[in-house]
Parts: sequence; structure tokens; C-alpha cells
Amino acid sequence: MPNNLGDGAGAKADGTGGRAHAEFVERWRDAAYGCYSSGHKFCREVCPVTQVTRNENHTPTAFHADIVAMEQGLLDVGDVADDFVHCTQCGACELRCPNTLFTGDFYRHRTRTVEVVKAMRAFMVDAGHEQPGWKRWIEQLVDAHSEPVLGAVPVEQEHVADWAAGLDLPVGGEAVLFVDCEAAFYRTSYARAIAQLLKAAGVEFGLMREQWCCGGPAAEMGYVEQARAFAEHNVADWRAVGARTIIAADPHDYIAFTEDYPSYFGDDYEFEIVLAVELVADLVRDGRLTLTEPIERVVTYHDPCRLNKRKGVHAPPRDLLRAVPGLTFVDVDHVTQWSYCSGAGGGLQVEKPEITAEISRRRVERAAGLEVDTLVSACPWSERPLAAAGDEQGIEVMDLFELVAEAAGIEVGGSTGVPVAREGLQ
Amino acid sequence: MSVATRAPFDSEVVTELRAIIGDDQRVLPNISSRVNRTRVPAPFPVHRWADFVPDVAVLPTTAEEVSEVVKLANRLRIPVVPRAGGTGLADGAVPLRGGIVVDVKLMNQIKEIDLTDRTVTVGTGINMLKLNEELKRYGVIYPDNPASYPCSIVGGRIGTGGWSLLGARYGHTRDLVMSMELVLPTGEIIEVGDGGGRKLRKSSTGFMLKQLFMGHQGTLGIATEATLELVPRPECEFSAFFAFDDYMKAYGTAGAIARSGLATLAGVVLFDEWKVRYLRRDDEAYIEQPADVVSVVAVALYGTRAEVEPASRRVMELGRSEGGRYLGDEISQGDWASRHDRYATPLHGRRRDGQVVPMCWHCEDAALPYSALPKVREEWHALVARYIERYDIFDDWGMFAYTNGAYKPWGDYLVEIDVGIWEQELNDDNWAAWVNLKREIAEVSLAHGGSITACHGATREGDAELVPTELGSAWQVVKAIKRTLDPNNIMNPGKQMLDEAYAEEVRT
Repeated sequence: MPNNLGDGAGAKADGTGGRAHAEFVERWRDAAYGCYSSGHKFCREVCPVTQVTRNENHTPTAFHADIVAMEQGLLDVGDVADDFVHCTQCGACELRCPNTLFTGDFYRHRTRTVEVVKAMRAFMVDAGHEQPGWKRWIEQLVDAHSEPVLGAVPVEQEHVADWAAGLDLPVGGEAVLFVDCEAAFYRTSYARAIAQLLKAAGVEFGLMREQWCCGGPAAEMGYVEQARAFAEHNVADWRAVGARTIIAADPHDYIAFTEDYPSYFGDDYEFEIVLAVELVADLVRDGRLTLTEPIERVVTYHDPCRLNKRKGVHAPPRDLLRAVPGLTFVDVDHVTQWSYCSGAGGGLQVEKPEITAEISRRRVERAAGLEVDTLVSACPWSERPLAAAGDEQGIEVMDLFELVAEAAGIEVGGSTGVPVAREGLQ
Repeated sequence: MSVATRAPFDSEVVTELRAIIGDDQRVLPNISSRVNRTRVPAPFPVHRWADFVPDVAVLPTTAEEVSEVVKLANRLRIPVVPRAGGTGLADGAVPLRGGIVVDVKLMNQIKEIDLTDRTVTVGTGINMLKLNEELKRYGVIYPDNPASYPCSIVGGRIGTGGWSLLGARYGHTRDLVMSMELVLPTGEIIEVGDGGGRKLRKSSTGFMLKQLFMGHQGTLGIATEATLELVPRPECEFSAFFAFDDYMKAYGTAGAIARSGLATLAGVVLFDEWKVRYLRRDDEAYIEQPADVVSVVAVALYGTRAEVEPASRRVMELGRSEGGRYLGDEISQGDWASRHDRYATPLHGRRRDGQVVPMCWHCEDAALPYSALPKVREEWHALVARYIERYDIFDDWGMFAYTNGAYKPWGDYLVEIDVGIWEQELNDDNWAAWVNLKREIAEVSLAHGGSITACHGATREGDAELVPTELGSAWQVVKAIKRTLDPNNIMNPGKQMLDEAYAEEVRT
């Protein structure tokens, strides 16, 4: 039968794609078939990007089908590059996948769409299909060692700990608090809240000598070498200051430290990674932190994707909210929230800010439907687009640590961030 | 004869489409957009993927845009293939001759919720689960509940004439869609319902046009808006699974429950011996049962507590009346609750020698009288066994039979045989074998007074050739309707042997 792909159809698998194409397909084809052959797309309506664009190319199943089509020589990496930008790496698709739900026990199987997206993005970089926004982002990141979260205002290494002004935090020690770029330079109230909560509870910790970006976003955008270089720096710094325990304030850092770093260093990675929200919840439960100041707000909680969907952490934040006196907490269960997202993750807001904004608008709209006055999140990356949407809909967006610190009688200080033009983010 | 066929695609067409749609993000001539709108979950000849790729996809947001796209296609004799969820099991949304895919997924708005006259009006790109998430707060549901409930879309349900797992209680898609707006193959926008009303459940004015536009597999137009039934959110759900040591006892029990007259009965499902054997052998979520369990009957009731509680006691009596053993609350409630996730999960099947290999699942459906179930079951399994013997890429995963009639579950059944296919091994010979197997399965159904399909559609080779046979003396009417509404055969051409409508035109 004649086809409408021209004379080149099928040629991509035979040579024009080259060895890298063949190796990529070989690496991912069987996993892709696991999705392709069942083909039932339950992931689609929980995917935050698909919910907005309704474009079948942007669906998790398409990401897997693309690899099968690459094997068949119908597509090459350049053909799908733009499609693979359309992902926040939230992980909802993996959870909703029937293959994960029902064959997981037998095969220890979890559909690994996030890994596939990261791998394809790395292949895009290698094959010369860099995305302009990410390219600029990474160039600035490499230059400044922190992400360009202030847009046109450069972030400078010498100011990476300015957020801690007046808190009298030491450098080094057994435990180190890692504060990610967004919190260190933009939403400094987040960093100040967590640091002061830990201090109030008597937790001993210090800061790094020279904290660089965790490298996670670079890895998410496909810049593997750069991500690893950041990881190597940070690990060296941890060792230099004698750290054994790393307190990850931000869910994105937690993913980097518990998934990316072990993949880089294997057995040569001796650190205990503690998630701040779990630590603070423990401190409250154990009575080392007492929440006495009533907070007269009606709130709902936004499950950050990297906590809820990627790591299954949904109870400790709720425990904390329920421990805050005076608070009216209108909860939406964490499974329903598989389909919620802020749109901020996976570099989407750098390349497709309009989609991020729409995902956040819809998330805040759901909160507004609950007749709350405050949406509480636990991830600084989500809080910027959510706050922008909240401003338009009359819903305040707070961070969980900020709220808990207030309930603990702490004068947090710092800034919740000044909106930066989206162009600036690029 | 002026029939749309595959022809070199003029890039001017893309320019015209962009002018109609007015947003380049919604006119997609790029290769990945086309490749990703080629297949559906039905077994697909992967090695011939390129043969089915459309020329361009458009994502309209209004009926007017759809209308203009279709008018353009009709003027230029370009095939148009409607696509909703792309989750069908019979290739309705697979382009056979290239052309323009009209993807309706962006038309997913809820336009009106009418709690007084009990309707909801939606764009046809909406998914039922998403719709029900919004309806929850009003205490109502739209109860169209296929296995693909989390991902299929109203437009596709209309196009395929969908069947619902709760259909015995609440009706199937054709009962639940009260009226719709659609774009005809010549581009006119019309509204069809019962008579002239959009929110009526019964009328005697004119022809009953609504059903003509149900289950046509995208060959008669594109539904762009639908007004749907709202039913009270059920206060109570009851499900029960019964195990049997003999298929005929299970068959008899399923029949007895279906004939019980219980108004809250939402459905009865019968698992045959091959199905139980398969679950025991290879289902990752199978909960161990004694070896004498060879067949299973599942029952579900929905309604008010006042109805469901006494009805559940009657179901428990009937379920045990021929030796059935209740499988307990955990399986009964858990298996029923997870029914959507269970329908397409296998990642593997087995070759003849028992070797595990990656396989995709295909479910071949038919509508059959209750009386024919035991015999058809034997003949279908024998057929599949013959193909397994000859082509070592198939596996028999057993049969389900579900009550089929809306509100009247007693007389006929949606019957499915699940066949595992080692898709990576497909080549022209193996694909031809699969098509022949499908055809033979369909021939058995027809020989026993059944229909080729209860809900998937007879749209692909293997089934399609038998459509004229099944429709018999009515086939000429079908062809006349198709030719009248779609004079240039642009609407999903090549499906269901409808090309014959135009062949006759040539002869005359």
C-alpha cells in the first residue's frame, strides 16, 4: 500500500538516525511496548499538561508510542523534541497506569514515563535538538552555579545564603540543610521558616560552604553532564564539612538526592537524606515543636507532585496542618490530587510558561471551589505560579513551613517572592 | 465515481485549514502528530504503521470549525477521520486512506447542567470520569461506564455505539445520549434528538434519527455537542462474585439472576473456564482459589438502599441456587471496584511451549442470544486453539459474557473472547492469520443468530467483510443512506464495506 510519508519512510531506523538512535531505541523499546501494547491511556486524564492542551502528542502514552515509532523508522528524535517538552515529570501517569497498578507485584514493575522523558530530553541535547529556553537557563546556571530564578537579575554565588541573614547558622556539621535555588533567592521566607523551625526544635544543622544548584532541573531538562557536575560539587562540599545527613528542604532536591545522585555515585554515596516535611512532622508529633498560635484561616492543601506522586509522601503535611490550632482544613485526598499539579516542574515553566500558568489557574480554581481563603503548598517551585493564579482569584498561597512557623510563634521574615516576568525566566 | 481515496496531499490544504482554524497550534501537519493519531488499542500491524498515517490533524473547538473543515474536505474529496479518545477496540478511528483527522478532544466543555430537566450538555471531547467529577457535587452522575471509563470520550462513545458496564440498570450510550449536534459529511450542522426536542426522552415526530447517528463509526458525521441523561447518584452499590465447579452451573446461575426482574440489577458477568484458567495461570493480581473453581459469576446492583438491600439478599440466594460459592467481600468489592483497571493489564502471554512473551490483549466481541453461549464458547475456543497451533503468536485468555440489553438484561449477552497477540512478531503472514481468525470468530456469531459486535464496531478487515451478510436485506437501505448523506465518501472511508454504496452508483 502506498503511504504518505514520502520516500524516506522507514529509512530512519536503517541508518539516517545513526547509532545513537539505534542505541536509544534498544534501551527503551521493551518498556515502551509495555505501554504501547496495552495502549489504554488511563494516564491521559490525570496528566496536567494533557488536561490543558488535549493534544494526543503530549500524552504519556504518546511518549512510549513515539519510541516504538522510532524503532519502526517513522520518527526520529527531532520529530518528537517539542512533544517531549510537554511534561512536568509529576509522575501521575505512572501511578494511574494499569500496568503499574496490577502487574507491579508480579514484575516489580512501574511504568517509568518520567525516566523516559528525561532520557529523551538527554538524547535531544546530544542530538542537537536543544530547546532555546532550557539552553539559556542551563548556560546561566552553569555560569552562576544557581538557577536564574530572578529572571534578568543575576543570582550570584556570594548571595546564596543571604536568606539566612540574622539566623546565625553555622557552616558544616553532621547535618546540613540544603536550600534550593528558588528558596535561596526567590521565596526566602520558605527557607527561613524551615531553618527556624529546626532551630526551635533544637535540631543541630549547618549550611554548606558553597552550595550549588542540586542539578535536578538540569537533569530534568536533559543536561546530564551539567547535572552530574553539580552533584559532584555538592557531594564534595558535604564531605568537606563532615556532613552525614542532608536535610532536603525542597521536594525537588529530595528527588535529586534520592534518585539522581545514587545513580551517579552508586555505592560511593554515604549520606542519609532526610525530607524536611517528614522531619518537622516528627518534631511536632514528638512534642519537640509546639504549635500554640492560632491561625484563623480556611485552607486546603496542594499535594506537591514530587512528594505525593513521586515519593508517596502525603500524610506528614496533613498531620502538620491538623496540628495547627485555629485552622480550618478542607482536605482533598491525595489520590484525587494525582490529577492536580502547579505545572512548575520539569522545566515546563521555562519553555511553556503559558501552559504552566493555565495548570496553576485550574489548580487554584479547584481550591476556590472549596471556599477556602488559603491554598497551602509544600514546594517553593509550585508556589510561584500558584501565587500568581491565586492573586487573580483571591486565594492566598502559603507554604506549609511558613504557616507552621507562624503557628509556632516564629517571626519568619524574608520574602515570599516578587513576581518576575516570564520572559525573564527564560 | 467520485470517491475520496489516498492521493498526494496538497500543502495548500494545510494553508486553508489554518485559515479556518485560525490557530496554528491546532492544525498539525507534523509527522509526530500524524503518527500519534494513527492507531487505537486494537491490535495493530506495527510493521505497516506507515500505511495508516493521516496527512494532517486538526483540533477544532467549535462545530463551526468542524463544519468548515468538512466542507473543505468534501469540496476537495479528502478523507475525514473523526477521532475522540482513540481508545476503541475496532479501528473506527484508524485512517485507512490518509486525510484529515478531526480530533475533538478540545471540545470538552460542560455547557449546561440542568438539574430541573435532569440533563447535562457537553462538548463531545469530554471524558466521562472527568464529567462525573464535576457532577458529583450535584448528587447526579452520567452513568455511561465502559471498561475504558477513565479515558474514553463522549464523542467516541457516540461514534461506536458504546456499551456500559452498568447498562442493565442505566442504559447504554444510545439510551443516555438524549440529543446531539453533529456535522454531516457535507458540512451542514444539524441537531437530532427525539423529535425536535433536545431534552426529551420520547417522541413520535418524524423518523427516529438519533439512533442513525449512534454507532456509525464515524462514517456519517462528527458529533460536536451532546445532551446527556443525568441520574441520581446511587445511594448504594452491591457487588457479589460466585465461584462454580462447572461452567453450565455458572451459566444457569447467570441466566437466573438476569431473569430475576430486579430493577437495580446493573449487570451480570460470566467468566468461562478458559478465563479462570488464564487468571490462575498468568494474572498478576489473581487471588488464589481452590482448583475446583472453574467458572465465576459476578453481579452488581445500584440504587437506593431501600431497593438494593432486599435485592442483594435475593442475589445471594440465586447466586448459590446452583452450587455457587460466594467468594467473599474482599474479592466481590475489590474486583468490582477495580474493574476498569483490570481490563487491559496483561503485559505477557505464553507461547505453546509455555515460554512467557510480551503480548498485547485483544478482546473480540459479539452480541449473542443467551441460548447460544455454551456452544459459541466451545467453537470460539476451538478456533483460537487451531490458530495457536499453527501460529505461535496467539494465546487464549478466555471469555467473558455480560448482560447486554439496556433495562432488559435477560435475553442476550455481550460476549468477548480475549486473545493475546505477540505484537512484536507481526508480519504480513501473521497479520493475515489474525484477520482470518477474527473473521472466523464473527462467522460463528452470525451462525448462532448473533451480531458481529455488541459495542466495538465491525470496522476492520476480518469483521467488515461480513457486515453486508449480517445486515442482509437491510444492507441496501444502509448503502442508500450512506450515499445520500456522504455523496463523495469522504467520511471515514473504507470502513464497514460502505464503499459498496458507491460501486453501485458506477454500475448504474
